[in-house]
Amino acid sequence: MTHFISWRPILKILSRELLITILLLLGVSIIIFSILHMAPGDPLHIFINIQTQNPDEIAAIKRDLGLDRWLPLQYLSWLNNILHGNFGNSFRTGRPVFNELIGVSLYTLILTIGSMIVTLLISVPIAIFSSLRRHPVLSWGLTLLAYIFSALPVFWLGYIVIYIFTHKFNLFPFLSAGYAGTAKFNFLYFLLPIIVLGVGNGAISEIIRHLNAQLERVLSEDYIKAAKAKGASIWRHSFKEGMLIPVTTMVAAKIPFILGGAVIVEQVFNWPGMGRLAWQAALDRDYPIIMGITIFAAFFVHIGRFLQTIVYLFVDPQITAKGEEA
Amino acid sequence: MAEDILRVEDLRTYFYSFTKEAFIRAVDGVSFNIKKGEVLGIVGESGCGKSITAQSIMGLITDGPGIITGNIFLNNNGNTVNLLDGLPDYASIKKKRKAIYEISKDVLGWQKRSETLMNGIRGMVISMIFQNPKSALNPFMPIGEQIAESIMLHKAIATKKEALSFAAAWLERVQIDSPNMRLYDYPFSLSGGMCQRIMIAMSLSSEPSLLIADEPTTGLDVTIQTKIIELLKKLKEELNLTILLITHDMGVIMQLADKIAVMYGGKIVEYGLKREIMDNDSFIRHPYTIALLNSLPTIEEIRAKERLRAIKGDVPDTITLYRGCRFYDRCTLKNDRIKNKCKESEPEMIEIGTGHLMRCWLAE
Repeated sequence: MTHFISWRPILKILSRELLITILLLLGVSIIIFSILHMAPGDPLHIFINIQTQNPDEIAAIKRDLGLDRWLPLQYLSWLNNILHGNFGNSFRTGRPVFNELIGVSLYTLILTIGSMIVTLLISVPIAIFSSLRRHPVLSWGLTLLAYIFSALPVFWLGYIVIYIFTHKFNLFPFLSAGYAGTAKFNFLYFLLPIIVLGVGNGAISEIIRHLNAQLERVLSEDYIKAAKAKGASIWRHSFKEGMLIPVTTMVAAKIPFILGGAVIVEQVFNWPGMGRLAWQAALDRDYPIIMGITIFAAFFVHIGRFLQTIVYLFVDPQITAKGEEA
Repeated sequence: MAEDILRVEDLRTYFYSFTKEAFIRAVDGVSFNIKKGEVLGIVGESGCGKSITAQSIMGLITDGPGIITGNIFLNNNGNTVNLLDGLPDYASIKKKRKAIYEISKDVLGWQKRSETLMNGIRGMVISMIFQNPKSALNPFMPIGEQIAESIMLHKAIATKKEALSFAAAWLERVQIDSPNMRLYDYPFSLSGGMCQRIMIAMSLSSEPSLLIADEPTTGLDVTIQTKIIELLKKLKEELNLTILLITHDMGVIMQLADKIAVMYGGKIVEYGLKREIMDNDSFIRHPYTIALLNSLPTIEEIRAKERLRAIKGDVPDTITLYRGCRFYDRCTLKNDRIKNKCKESEPEMIEIGTGHLMRCWLAE
């Protein structure tokens, strides 16, 4: 069907989103930078003390890393480097932060997207099933089960799963993705952490509740009744407002939580992702890595919001119309 | 005489209220029939069970605990089908203790059966237009697509392009300007009157035998109301439509209906041809009909800025079981002679003229 999509308002909204993204990243970087430098301890005490006690050498290293300058100046120079595509070098390894992050963020993306899919695969059918109100007892039981699962702390769940499936039954390999290159069953390494994060990230119950409420509201709308009266499928008519919009909303809202859960899961499963790197970098006070990870994470979170906006744009004709006025 | 398109016999739709622990008898033993090319107007105040009657016919009542019984015979191209066929099989009444009965129902089974019965009937043989047309159209679909969907479901038209041109022709028929442009509009950019025209086009595009119009003019401006009524009138003459018109507006009934059923408290209190009921010479009318007619102001009264003569009191709740006439409290015509009778026992439908039935002790 040929729609008359007017591109002008869409471009307007997208450019506004871009501006918001830039401001957001700027704000996030300022806040993280301040928090980092307010936090006790500094990289020098962690690395250098072991190697040298000579104050001259320490001062030289400090100058070398640029840590002797006035704080705002440090931030501005970091910002200047970022604008030139340079995320700096890791204090610990000395390698460029960007190269290090690209590798690990791929693993984190796999983990995040995979577990999001697992979450949706569990929660969406339950939500649809219980909004049908066909078998109230069964849907109540399923919902309760899902609530219990999402109330389980993810680190505990991770250790329990490792204990049961790899120690007791020896079904899954103990080591995970990073060491998968030589293994025979490649995907097995990915499966367990993804399922654990998908079940344990706490999003299942909220997606069920939100989707169920929205679906029931939409199914009782007049236009669904009218669609039924003309003999059309009520699912076809309720799909956009009843499923697509709530699911996108929840996915976009839950990405930060899943990234947070990823930090723990990556620790538990020894998954070479951003979360583990962030953990290590936080212990080491590796400022450039932490800043880089924060920017990456903020970017990922915002990508979710961005996708949500795009879905809204193409689903709800009124937004484009409003965008024209704005 | 023309054949019956729809014959409803003793339709009862009860809902169970958990808070009040009682049945709400929304529709309580309603019977009527519509012949081909006829317009039956069901009129009554809000809460009289008019819309529930229509929704029961369409099989749209699926929610909530309750009971539905009766027979709905629909003439589907010569074959008469009962839309509530086999319903008693899905419910059984067991006597538990003295005067305590347990009703067990297979709701899921009935819903499945109802869906198969209604399949090919909804939208095809019976179409429905709703009150608040703006909310009855899918806000996320261009209207052309919605009409085309209806056409493709019920007509032997396979391609979307063809269906869209068919839809445009129907838009023209309901007097919408530049129909080819409008096909791509979304409901939010159209006025309420336009949306109702589109609903009418959509429901008529499958050329149904029966059109149920559930308060088609409610929620529209007065000027738009007249236009919609005129449109329905014109289409009715062009297409020889059979319409079940549900409204609380006596003005709409006067203009469109051939036959009238006045509903009160879930029951039909007066039923007959419009010329019988509305005829000024007819000396017998149900007190409720008289009150409804009186509540319509005349032009002289509007000029004189008189107060509207609303019917005093409220519609009775349909939970309480009444021994006597349901209209008793609000009736202005009750006299000492029959007062006790009105209070004590409910009147039956009494035939007072050819095809003119009334539920009032005054008629005796």
